[in-house]
Amino acid sequence: MTHSSLIGDLVDLDSALKSDRSTDNDRKKQRDRALGRTLQQQRNNPARQIRGWLSQVSINAWKRDGHHAVQLYHVLCVLLTVAGLATGWGLATAVLHYTGNAPINIVNALGLLVLLQILLLLLWCVSTIPNRVPLFGSLQSALRFLNPGRLTRHLARFFPARSRQSLSLVWDTDYATALAPATRWLFSFWSQLFAFCFNIGVLLAAFYLISFSDLAFAWSTTLNIDSATFHHMLKALSWPWHTLFPDAVPSPELIDISRYYRLEEGSLAHAVTASELAAELGQWWPFLVSAVICYGFIPRLLTLLISWLRFRHHLAHALPHLPGAPELLARMNSPLITTAARQPESVADIDVDTGYEATESGSYNLQCALIDWSGTGVNTDTATRQLQAMGISFKELLPAGGTRTTDQDNATIMSLCRLKPQGIAVMVKSWEPPLLEFLDFIHSIREQCNRRQPIIILLWGGADSVTERDHETWQLTLRQLKDPDLHIEAMGSAQ
Amino acid sequence: MTAPLFAIVGHPNKGKSSIVSTLAQDESVTISPIPGTTVDNRYYPMSVDGETLYALVDTPGFQRARAALEWMQKQPGSSVDRANIVRLFVEEHHDDTRFAAECSLLTPILDGAGILYVIDGSRPFGEEYEAEMEILRWTGQPSLALINMIGDSDYSEEWHIALGQYFRIVRIFDAMTADFDRRVQLLLAFGQIREEWRESLETAVRILQEERQRRRNLSAHIIAETISRMLTHTLQRRFSDNAAGNEVRESMQLAYKQDLTAMEQQCRSHVEQTYNHAHLERHEPHVQLLDQDLFATKTWLLFGLTQQQLITTGALGGAATGGVIDLAVGGASLFLGAGIGAMIGGVSAWVTTDRIADIKVLGLPLGGEQLSIGPMRNINFPYVVLGRALYHHQMIEDRTHAHRAPLELEQQPAWLQTVDKDQRKRLEKIFLKLRGQKTLNPDLVDSLAEQIQKLMKLPVSHTTETPA
Repeated sequence: MTHSSLIGDLVDLDSALKSDRSTDNDRKKQRDRALGRTLQQQRNNPARQIRGWLSQVSINAWKRDGHHAVQLYHVLCVLLTVAGLATGWGLATAVLHYTGNAPINIVNALGLLVLLQILLLLLWCVSTIPNRVPLFGSLQSALRFLNPGRLTRHLARFFPARSRQSLSLVWDTDYATALAPATRWLFSFWSQLFAFCFNIGVLLAAFYLISFSDLAFAWSTTLNIDSATFHHMLKALSWPWHTLFPDAVPSPELIDISRYYRLEEGSLAHAVTASELAAELGQWWPFLVSAVICYGFIPRLLTLLISWLRFRHHLAHALPHLPGAPELLARMNSPLITTAARQPESVADIDVDTGYEATESGSYNLQCALIDWSGTGVNTDTATRQLQAMGISFKELLPAGGTRTTDQDNATIMSLCRLKPQGIAVMVKSWEPPLLEFLDFIHSIREQCNRRQPIIILLWGGADSVTERDHETWQLTLRQLKDPDLHIEAMGSAQ
Repeated sequence: MTAPLFAIVGHPNKGKSSIVSTLAQDESVTISPIPGTTVDNRYYPMSVDGETLYALVDTPGFQRARAALEWMQKQPGSSVDRANIVRLFVEEHHDDTRFAAECSLLTPILDGAGILYVIDGSRPFGEEYEAEMEILRWTGQPSLALINMIGDSDYSEEWHIALGQYFRIVRIFDAMTADFDRRVQLLLAFGQIREEWRESLETAVRILQEERQRRRNLSAHIIAETISRMLTHTLQRRFSDNAAGNEVRESMQLAYKQDLTAMEQQCRSHVEQTYNHAHLERHEPHVQLLDQDLFATKTWLLFGLTQQQLITTGALGGAATGGVIDLAVGGASLFLGAGIGAMIGGVSAWVTTDRIADIKVLGLPLGGEQLSIGPMRNINFPYVVLGRALYHHQMIEDRTHAHRAPLELEQQPAWLQTVDKDQRKRLEKIFLKLRGQKTLNPDLVDSLAEQIQKLMKLPVSHTTETPA
C-alpha cells in the first residue's frame, strides 16, 4: 500500500534499512547506485532522494508499515480534533451559561477563555525557545514533559499493535539520534491541534448561543477595581482590533452600566429599564469573540502551523540521518566502482588427502643416483656431507630440469635406468614449488625404470633452512603422485 | 577504445593472486600454498558505473614452460613470426591438458593484454624462469615485471639484472603491505607500458582517489555517530524498594559496558565493510569504562517527573498563582506575588517529594529511586574511543585484501600527540556539547565527522598511548 506522507516514509525507510542489513553489500551498491542515477536531479535534496528511493526499491522480506503509521497518525489527529472541539464547545457552553437570573460574568469568561490561553501560549513559547539559557533547561524539560501532546502516545496503546509499533518509531528512544527534534514538534503539533480545535469549539458554541439565545453579560469582582481601571485593562486587551472593529471595544459607558453586584439577588451598578438593559448587556459579545479570536484562535492557528512546519522540517531533516541512511545516500550518489571479479573463482580440486604421505625416514642406508633439479647450486662436498648424514651415498650427480631440454631430461632418466641404483635422490630448491614438469619427470623415472626403488626428494633451502611452509607445499603436491616409495627430506642450509 | 587488460602471469606460488587481490580489493581470491590452485583465468574489471577502465586477469602459473618453448622453437619462422608461433601453440594445444595452464595464461596476452610478470624477490633467481620469460618475450606484448617481496630476504638486485633482460620496466611491489599510494603508483606504472593506456589508468587512479575520500568521509561519519552514541548513552532503572538498588547496580554496570562494546564493535564492522573487508577477523581489547562511578540516583515521582522537574513545575504553578494576584492589583505589587509564589511552590515541591515517593495508590508507589548509569563524563573517554577508532580505520585503510591474517589491534597508538592545539580545542568543544546532550544531535555528529576527517589525514604514531 502506498502513501505520500513523510511520517509513513520515515517508518518505511526504517524497516527497509533494517531488512536490507542482510542484503549482500555489493548487491546493495549496484541496486542503490542504479536508483541513485535515476534520482540524480534530487541529489541536492537528500530527503526527497530517499523518498524517491523508497518508492522504487524492492527489498526481500520488507514489511512496509508506513501506511499503518500514517493511518494511526491521522486517526489520532481526528481524535484530537474531536476532543478539542468538544472541550471548547463544552467549556464555552458552561462559561456562557445564562438562565436569565444572573448575567454572565465577563471576568469569568475572559479568565477562562482568554487569559488562561495567553498563559498557556506563553508557556508554549518558553518550551520552544532554543535551549541556550541555562536556567530554562529544567523549566523547558518540565514543560515538554507536561505537554498534553505527549498523552497521545498513551492513546496509541489502544490501537492495533502493528500501527502502534510502526508509529512508535517517532518517540522510540533508540532513534533519539535523528528524531528527537521531530518528536518534540510532533507533540507540540498535537497539543496545538487540540488547542486550535478547542478555540473553534469555543467560537462555534459562542456563535450558537449568541444566535439562538439571548445572553446578558456583566462584570463582577471582589477586587477593588473601578470602572475606569477596568476600562483601561479592557482597552489594552482590545488594542489589536480597536481600529479594525471599534464596536468590539467596550465603551466606558458599557463598562459603567454593566458592573454587577450579587448582593440582594443581584443588582447592576446603574439600573436602567429592562429593554435597555437587555440591549446594552448583550453588547459584550463582540468583545469576547474578538478576544477569543485574537488571543486564542489566531495564535493557536499560528502555533499549529509553526509546529506542523517545524515537525515536517525536522522529519525531513531526520530522514537522511536515520541509522543507515547516510550510507544509503553515499551508495546512491557515488559512482559504482567495482574492482572485484564478477564470476566466482574456479579452483582446482586437488586431492591432497590421498592417504599417501611422502615419508621422512631419516636414515636410508642406500646407494643412490643423485639428480640436481634446476640447478640447485649445491656443491658436491656439501651434498656428500649432508646425504651421508641421511645414510645416502651417491656415485654420480646428474643434472636435470632448468635450462636443459626435456630430451636431455629423458636421456638422464635412461642413464638412471641403466645404472640401477638402490635409490634415486633428487635435490630440489625448496622455495620453488613443484611444477607439473617435475611431477612428469618423477613419473617418467617410475615408468621407464620400472622399479620400485625409493625416490628421495631432498629439499634444499639455499642460504636459509627449509621453511615449514615450503615443506608443506612439497608434501601436499607430491601426495598427488600416490607413490608409497616417495620420500621427502629437508637438507641443512648452506651455512 | 577498448579498456586496457593486464594479464598477471608467472611461476606458481609467487604472489600473482595476492597482487590481484590487493589491486582488485577482492578478498574472495584464493591464496593457496599448493601450486596449480588457479586453473582458469579470472577477470577483475575496474569499472565505474558499468564502464570498464581497465581489467586484470589472474592466470594459472606456468607448469610446463620448457616443453612449450621447445615446441615453439621447433616451428619454422624468424623473429617476426614468434607471436604467431605462440598463437599457433595455443591453437594446437587448447584441448591438450598437458598445456592447459600455458594455453590459459597466453590467451589473454595474445588477445592484447599487457603482461605483468610476477616473481618473488625474497627468493633467488633460478634458471627455470628463463623458459617462461622467453615465451612471454615471444608474444611481443608490452610488459612489466613485478618483484613481489613475499619473505624477509632480499634478492631484488639479482632479479633486477635478470628481469631487465626481458622486461623494460621492473618494479618492486609488496602485495601484503602496499598502502593506497603504492597501489596507485603501480597502476600509473601500468600506463607506462603502452601510451594509449595511460589515459584510462589515470582516470582510474583519479576515481580510486575520490572513492578513497568518500570511504574516509563515510567512515568518519560512522565513527562520529558511534562516539556520540557512546557519550550520550544512559541506562535507567526505577525501583521503589531501596534494598533492590545494590542488586541492580552490578547488572546495570555490566549491561552498560556491553552496550558500549557492542556500539564500538558495530562501528568497526561498518568501517570494515566500507573498505570491502567484510570477513575480517579482529582482535581488540574491549573499551574500558574510565569512570569508577558512573551511577547517579535520583528520586522519581508521580507521572515519572523527576524531583527537579517537579520543583520547577511547583515553582511555575506558584508563579502563575502569584501572577494572578499581581494582575488583580494592577501590578502595584511589583510582581512580588509571582516571585513569592514561585518560591513557595518550588520549596513546597522540594519538601514534599520524599513524602510523595512513599505514598502508594492501589499498592503501586507514586515515587521511588531511579538508578541511572551514564552518560560518560570522563573527559578522556571520547579521546580514547576516537583514538581506537582512528587506529582501526588506518589499519583497515592500509590493509591489503591479500592480507588474510587476523587484524591485531592490541597496541593502541598515541594519536593525540599528533593533533595540534587548535584541533584539540575544536574536538573538546564538540565533546563538551555532546556531553551536554541527552539525545543525539545530527548536526553535532556532522561537526565531529568533519574533525575526524581532518584527523584521518594525520599519521598515527605507533607508540603506546597514555590517556591525557
